[in-house]
Amino acid sequence: MAKRVLVVDDAIFMRNMIKDIFASGGFEVVGEAANGLEAVEKFKEFKPDLTTMDIVMPFKSGIEATREIIKQDSSAVVIMCSALGQESLVMEAIEAGASDFIVKPFRAEDVLAVVKKVLGEV
Amino acid sequence: MTMDMSRYLGLFISEASEHLEALSRDLVQLEREGSSSAVDSMFRHAHSVKGMASSMGFEPIAILAHRVEDLVDAVRQDRSRLDRDLVDLLLSSADALLAQVRAVADNKEPAEATALLQQLSARVTTITGHAPATTRVARVTVLKPAATTDAAAEPPANPEPAAAAKAPEASAPAPDETTRPPGAKSAPADPRPGSSAGGLTSGAGAEAGAAAREPRPAESLAHDVAARPAPGLELSGGLQAAAGGALASKPEGEARAPLQRWAVQLRIAPTCQVPGVRAFLVHKRLTTLGTLLDLRPALEELKAGRIPDGYIQVELETSVGDTGIHSALRNVAEVEVVSVKAAVAAPAPAPPAAAAPDSARASAEAGGSRTVRVRTELLDYFLDTVGELMLATARLREVGKVLPENARPELEEGVYRLHTLVKDLHDKVMSARMTPLSLITDRLPRAARDLARRKEREVDLVITGAEIELDRAILDELADPLLHLLRNCIDHGLEAPEERLAAKKGSRGRVLVAVRRARDRVIVEIEDDGRGMDPAKLKAAAVTRGLLAPEAAARLTDREAFLLSCLPGVSTAKDVTDISGRGVGMDAVKRVVESVGGTLEIDSERGRGTRFTLRLPLTVAVVHLLLVEVGDEVFGLPIAKVVGATEADGETLSRSRETALLPHGNGLLPVHALDALLGVPAPVRRGLRPFVVMDGDSGKVALAVDRLLGQEEVVLKPLSRPLDLLPGLSGVTILGSGRPVFILDVPRLLSA
Repeated sequence: MAKRVLVVDDAIFMRNMIKDIFASGGFEVVGEAANGLEAVEKFKEFKPDLTTMDIVMPFKSGIEATREIIKQDSSAVVIMCSALGQESLVMEAIEAGASDFIVKPFRAEDVLAVVKKVLGEV
Repeated sequence: MTMDMSRYLGLFISEASEHLEALSRDLVQLEREGSSSAVDSMFRHAHSVKGMASSMGFEPIAILAHRVEDLVDAVRQDRSRLDRDLVDLLLSSADALLAQVRAVADNKEPAEATALLQQLSARVTTITGHAPATTRVARVTVLKPAATTDAAAEPPANPEPAAAAKAPEASAPAPDETTRPPGAKSAPADPRPGSSAGGLTSGAGAEAGAAAREPRPAESLAHDVAARPAPGLELSGGLQAAAGGALASKPEGEARAPLQRWAVQLRIAPTCQVPGVRAFLVHKRLTTLGTLLDLRPALEELKAGRIPDGYIQVELETSVGDTGIHSALRNVAEVEVVSVKAAVAAPAPAPPAAAAPDSARASAEAGGSRTVRVRTELLDYFLDTVGELMLATARLREVGKVLPENARPELEEGVYRLHTLVKDLHDKVMSARMTPLSLITDRLPRAARDLARRKEREVDLVITGAEIELDRAILDELADPLLHLLRNCIDHGLEAPEERLAAKKGSRGRVLVAVRRARDRVIVEIEDDGRGMDPAKLKAAAVTRGLLAPEAAARLTDREAFLLSCLPGVSTAKDVTDISGRGVGMDAVKRVVESVGGTLEIDSERGRGTRFTLRLPLTVAVVHLLLVEVGDEVFGLPIAKVVGATEADGETLSRSRETALLPHGNGLLPVHALDALLGVPAPVRRGLRPFVVMDGDSGKVALAVDRLLGQEEVVLKPLSRPLDLLPGLSGVTILGSGRPVFILDVPRLLSA
């Protein structure tokens, strides 16, 4: 069964791109969220196998959302979507329980490689 | 697998533009109120644009956005550094970014903003004490403007040099994923509604070429950690619990296994863009297994990405064994476990506690609205098609009328049902087109600030009711007129501070933009508390320019006189400034407002201020027409402009020179024969004939027609070339009978 993914990013542009990448990799994107608040809610709703999480978002940052998601479900797999220059934030997210990270600008194959690796599919 | 980035171009353009406009708004708000939420929001906007631009491969945009982000971040750390010049600089940068995005939309290369970049980094340096880090835009995906075919259908121009880019020994990406040619796997279904084949890129991106790809040498990626404050990174037992995520496969019962020391050698893949973070993740994973006795390079070095050749040596004391170590690292991308060897065992602390899943905790409101983005052109298409459906339905009904009596009921029932459905659909399409006025009023504070600054005025701009919705087509038309009226208020209406003080007013001028709904109209008022307009001067100016006879001028009410400012060339402004004295004038404002079926009124009181009132229809697409017959032709007159209709004997009308005059109210109106205006052959009429009284540009006029046919609600269709070049025609519609009818723009017709 296709692994189920929740995509979190405040930019529709990014969400669409990430969704397309997952679709091309045979994943099922079950939900998306535009901020940290929504992310936590959608995580509860969908219980995805994997969540991609933007860091800088309105209302609640991706780091805060990750912290709450991991608190809900310590086995949750959250992959941070970061940009060059956000190293310290990504480290903070890792402290908060993020499983891994990908770096913008994304290359589809890199994203899928990280995701498959994290999900133990390689 | 090469991603075709051109399909994201449309979305990039619209979303980046929104972010940049919001950035400008935040800046103006920040300068006014100094709220910290505005700074955070600005940071997010710049950051988002940077991310999107770098994804699209638009380097100049990404670099400029990054520098803006740096400066905003610096301001975030020290708010006292925010001054007017800095706001100006950031506003200029936002403008430059918008211009770059627009260039991309026009299929051009975005210009490098060299001067701005220098200024921005100079400011960053002044504030933070060090130069901003070089912008690291990974040139992964470059959109090459290519004149060739649709990118989506084409194989990648440069086949992915996957083997070269990936170190063979590192992080082995799933081979089936990287080597599969694009399109071999079922093409991803386009998730966006409304982006039919290449639709997303229509106009802007249709030409954007195949996404070519330039592998970026890993070495050229800087490794330094950004200047943002590093969070506390000390590990504690409690935090370790949180890292349980990908460690689900950790062997059970490890606590009882003997502690053992292991020497682990790892290598971070040379292609890794942020080896520091990667190393930190590895470190984090290992600390959950036991105690780190030795780490080379040291943690601070690792975090900073200073890892010679990517090699990391770890001495770890753990009870999970080498299999446990392997499995903990197995799921970490871009890391290769080179070797795990037994070292000398030693007594050790207790293994970490297992993570206890907390019960779910509710967190505020989740976004309940389910919305999608639809391109405006698509909405136009919907409306157009629904309009055609309405016309086709009306046509069917007409056809039914000639059927034999017994065949009619069924058809009429069907037509009635169709009509109801189409009407309902039309309403839904119309409501989908409704857009809040904030779309255009959001730009006003920025404009007001710039104008006030240039004119050395002090202005408080108050906007109310911006949430009220109007048809998108009207909004688009209204943007410039609204801006012009605002300029007019600030430039001509408001006095200089000292003049205001002398007139016993506050030194700060006030401009109010108030929007409200009044039945099926939206009223927009733009009001200033400035010096007001002088009707006598306006009349004199109109007479001097030969636009009005002195006696006609004398008859004008003040309100009518104010409208003279909308005649081309009439302005009481003593000096023509570069702000509102050129370009779109009041005449253009009035024309645009009327072209969307609205009206413009001006009220003014000397010394107290001026108010412009725009009454706008909610939609443009459906117009009420008065149908009139001239000769054998039928024409539509917009009811909005019709004052009334009357009958009179054309022979008995009094005349002033060549023009017949129709008594109306207390005055006389000039009569224009519609057949003559349009060049339609019509027989000479004797006796009583109908006249339609309409609002013209300089007062009311009477149109002589042959017959009044009645009112009709019709779907307006724009004229296409070359018919749109004919002055005096504002559109066309098709009546139920199938007859096309031109809709007349009487003021333009009279001035043609």
